[in-house]
Amino acid sequence: MEVNPLSIIIVKSDSKGDRLLFRYPYKVETQNDISSESKRRNPYSILINDDVLQNAQQQTSNIHNGQLSGFPDEVLSTLFAVKSELCNRKFELKVNDVRFVGHPTLMQAKESKEDTSFILINIVFALYAQASYSIVTCYYELSKKLGYALVHEENRVGYLSEEMNLMVKTHDEIAAVIEQDRGKSELEAFDLVLERSTLAQCLKSIYHDLCTTGLLNITINQFVTLCFCLPQKAHQFHKKGVIVEPETIDRCLHSLKPYHGMLLLVNFAELLDCVPPSGALMLLKLIEVYNPLKSLQNMASDADLPIDHVYELVGHLVYWAKATIIYPLCETNVYVIAPDAPLYTNSPLVEKFSTEFPGMSLFEVISDFSLPTSIGHLTTPLQQPARQGILAQMVLWMLQHHLLMQLHTYVQFMPNDHGECDEISTEYELGPTVDENHSEMSLDNDDDINASSLLSMSSQPLPVPNTSHRSNTEDQFSAADSTVSDNIVAQPSSSHKSNFSMTQSASLSSDNCDSLASVEDEDKIKELLNVFQEQDRAAVRRIPAASNPEDLALMVKLWQAGYFKGEHHLEEIMYFENLRRSQLLQLLDKFRDVLIIYETEDPAIASLYSQS
Amino acid sequence: MTNNQQQFYEGCGREGLIRCIFLSEFHPVAGSKISCQVPEGYVTKDVFDAVNVYIIPKPQLQRCILTVNVMKTKIVGYPVKIDSQRYARNAFYFNLCFVCDFWARSVQYEPVVKKLSEYLTMMEEETGFLSKDEDDKIQLQTLLGRILSDLNEHKVTTIVEGENTIYLKIVTHLPDPPTVLDHMVPLLMSEYKSIPLESWDLTSQQILPYINGINHIARIAAEADVEVTLVKACIQNLAYYGVVKLLPILKYSNVYMCTRSLQNLTKDNMLYTACRKYVSLNPDRPSPSLAKVFQFYASMTHGITLRTICQRLSPQNHNIDERKLVIFGLQHDLIRCISKYPVFIGSMPNGRQRLYTGTYNFDEICCKTGLSAANIERDIDSDTNVTVIWK
Repeated sequence: MEVNPLSIIIVKSDSKGDRLLFRYPYKVETQNDISSESKRRNPYSILINDDVLQNAQQQTSNIHNGQLSGFPDEVLSTLFAVKSELCNRKFELKVNDVRFVGHPTLMQAKESKEDTSFILINIVFALYAQASYSIVTCYYELSKKLGYALVHEENRVGYLSEEMNLMVKTHDEIAAVIEQDRGKSELEAFDLVLERSTLAQCLKSIYHDLCTTGLLNITINQFVTLCFCLPQKAHQFHKKGVIVEPETIDRCLHSLKPYHGMLLLVNFAELLDCVPPSGALMLLKLIEVYNPLKSLQNMASDADLPIDHVYELVGHLVYWAKATIIYPLCETNVYVIAPDAPLYTNSPLVEKFSTEFPGMSLFEVISDFSLPTSIGHLTTPLQQPARQGILAQMVLWMLQHHLLMQLHTYVQFMPNDHGECDEISTEYELGPTVDENHSEMSLDNDDDINASSLLSMSSQPLPVPNTSHRSNTEDQFSAADSTVSDNIVAQPSSSHKSNFSMTQSASLSSDNCDSLASVEDEDKIKELLNVFQEQDRAAVRRIPAASNPEDLALMVKLWQAGYFKGEHHLEEIMYFENLRRSQLLQLLDKFRDVLIIYETEDPAIASLYSQS
Repeated sequence: MTNNQQQFYEGCGREGLIRCIFLSEFHPVAGSKISCQVPEGYVTKDVFDAVNVYIIPKPQLQRCILTVNVMKTKIVGYPVKIDSQRYARNAFYFNLCFVCDFWARSVQYEPVVKKLSEYLTMMEEETGFLSKDEDDKIQLQTLLGRILSDLNEHKVTTIVEGENTIYLKIVTHLPDPPTVLDHMVPLLMSEYKSIPLESWDLTSQQILPYINGINHIARIAAEADVEVTLVKACIQNLAYYGVVKLLPILKYSNVYMCTRSLQNLTKDNMLYTACRKYVSLNPDRPSPSLAKVFQFYASMTHGITLRTICQRLSPQNHNIDERKLVIFGLQHDLIRCISKYPVFIGSMPNGRQRLYTGTYNFDEICCKTGLSAANIERDIDSDTNVTVIWK
């Protein structure tokens, strides 16, 4: 509501003085609400007229039924015909609850006779004073653009002088008529102006476009095309009652990554009106390869465009509320219902959904997403592929209407803190800090666990947490079996350590595996572990998988790259480190004692949702 | 300096100090001019000349609050015209204006400017306070100087000037508070806990002892023996000033999910120290480790109730009070409660089904019907026309 303009006003000032040329809407409903004037709380209340402080009658609101009221034209024209010091910069004036914003533009008139005459033109938008700063700025930009367009047309063909003269003449004509017979009212002057002047018609259509869609695509004097978008309004078309600030869009676009995808919100036909003809070709190229299943990078390479251009195009489409950012649709994406999804009975979306997908009920479909669910989960290979296609279509539809939100998995590196009440780990915690001999003992103990749990991990994906001593002994049994048959990479390396330190605790099983490679591995592991801080190192070392140089190397690499700070989701790590999901998941599982994983939304995408 | 520039840009939404107060009047010969200004010379002649149309405007704009923001100066004024035979043109025009930085919000000054102008109008009508000394405005100068310094320092001032006493106070303009519903739980912010009970207003005094982050509005009303609408009004007022924060009611059957802010817990030292201290079950034992706390929060996701997490992680063994943990998480937006919305999808709802529209969540329905959650649950499970949405 507060996004809409109250009025659009054009004021000129030149050698002949200032004048309000046109304002729209000009038909103010003048019916006085008698009831509002003598509104009483109850029939017995007394109307107090003589307030000591507020003796004079005063106006506190200039808005009547969503329109500007209480300002005579002469007042407006003196207010907006600004002094030359204030020209070509932002002009902002607030009167009671109305804020006026404009960009007074000073230009030289294109006249053949005298070259020195200047015209000041000020296109002012009257807005609700509560409208946020970003809305005011957008209107200011629009006023500035209109000013520039008029300067251009004035310089080219003297369009503004012509229109101005026409409007002034019309006003004078009507004034003369009114002078003659007092029957006609001033309001009709604007009718006639609107009929005659193309500039007035243009302003009228601007007002209507701003009030309905927030998107403008007008041509002034059939020559200058002006594209403008009021994002706070335009995005309401897809999400009623939610104001999307341009700042949020910028933040979203700044965090855009090549792996993100795009989802169009409108038909192809509606896309082209948001770009000037010069940019249309590039947009067409992109749209030809558009697919919500593709990442931006894929689209860029398919369309043979540089990725930066794709970013810009997508940014433009998002700003204009023609598209939104998603993670490319795939089977593994996990979705839940968005916290602000407007789901209620009698919601227009319910009907819209059932016309789009006959025989389907929005509530039935979406209630599947009450729990985090992926398309893969909802379909089985036994079903016909068509069903999956429909489901994907429905998910896309729900994403377009911001009903669903994707959850991503984040990883936080967090070994147990030093010296805290953790009964189980206390014994281990002592390990690295006590003298050499003792540590070897505990290391040796670790070796067996390492070997066994690696095996158990390869066989069963989710083994019970290996924390108590009872499980250690169990594992030792299984280790005994396995060491003979499986010559695993990790084992020799870890057991070598005991050999290297020349203690009796060196186990027999490792004798045959002592090789040069394991020495290298051992050094490598040590080197890798050195990147961690003291207490973290101990915690990492305790993990069985840490004795596998490959696993540890990958873990350290990702840790060093800063992926385990809860800032990067799995898909991002996969993309930038060129990993497969299964690889990454295995690694996370192996190091789960020091990693905490959690699910939440991607901030880049979620910024376009309102956080309620 | 660069830091300042980053902080204070136009539209940053911050409040700033009053930089200057001036009185402008319409001189019968010289026209609009500044007749008194504190500090002297803050608004230059160039700036004043450019904007004097908005300071002494046309008669139609008298007694309107006018704010003009041009040339890096924001001026808030309230033009007044006094009609009287005493004056040269049978009228005295003046405008008392506050000047702020162009980036600062100025809404909070509007009522003050208006009120001060009305005091001055009264004083002018009674004693000719403004118009009496043509060139010498020392009295006014000191008055404005005092108002400027008092308002900037204390946001409030009381000045006795002749027979009048001027009371001014700047009231910060805050966004509207949320509507308070029966099932919501108010939580007193820690910085207000030390305020002695006597200094609150009467209703708050009765209510405050029952605000503990666990009790919901309806219960507070019952226990404090205060009418529920009064409690709501009081809590709403407290919420407006940020004294309390409204949280969803804590139940073990609740489902929470972590938000993006959860990662702050590992980065913000203050936050995590505060968190570990707050969630301790027994303050004498060492506070729980960050890893345990984080793990608890991280396990929160759709479909997993608080009960399940407690069973899985047994927080009490690690000196964690799960209730405080949840409260802390909600308070700092580390987690978000996921509510359950029953939706009736049949054709003709009757009885309780009318409540299942998707706009009321479970807690609201429980409060509205006075039934227990288990009862409602059973009701919904048996009804094939009702689906449940979690969001």
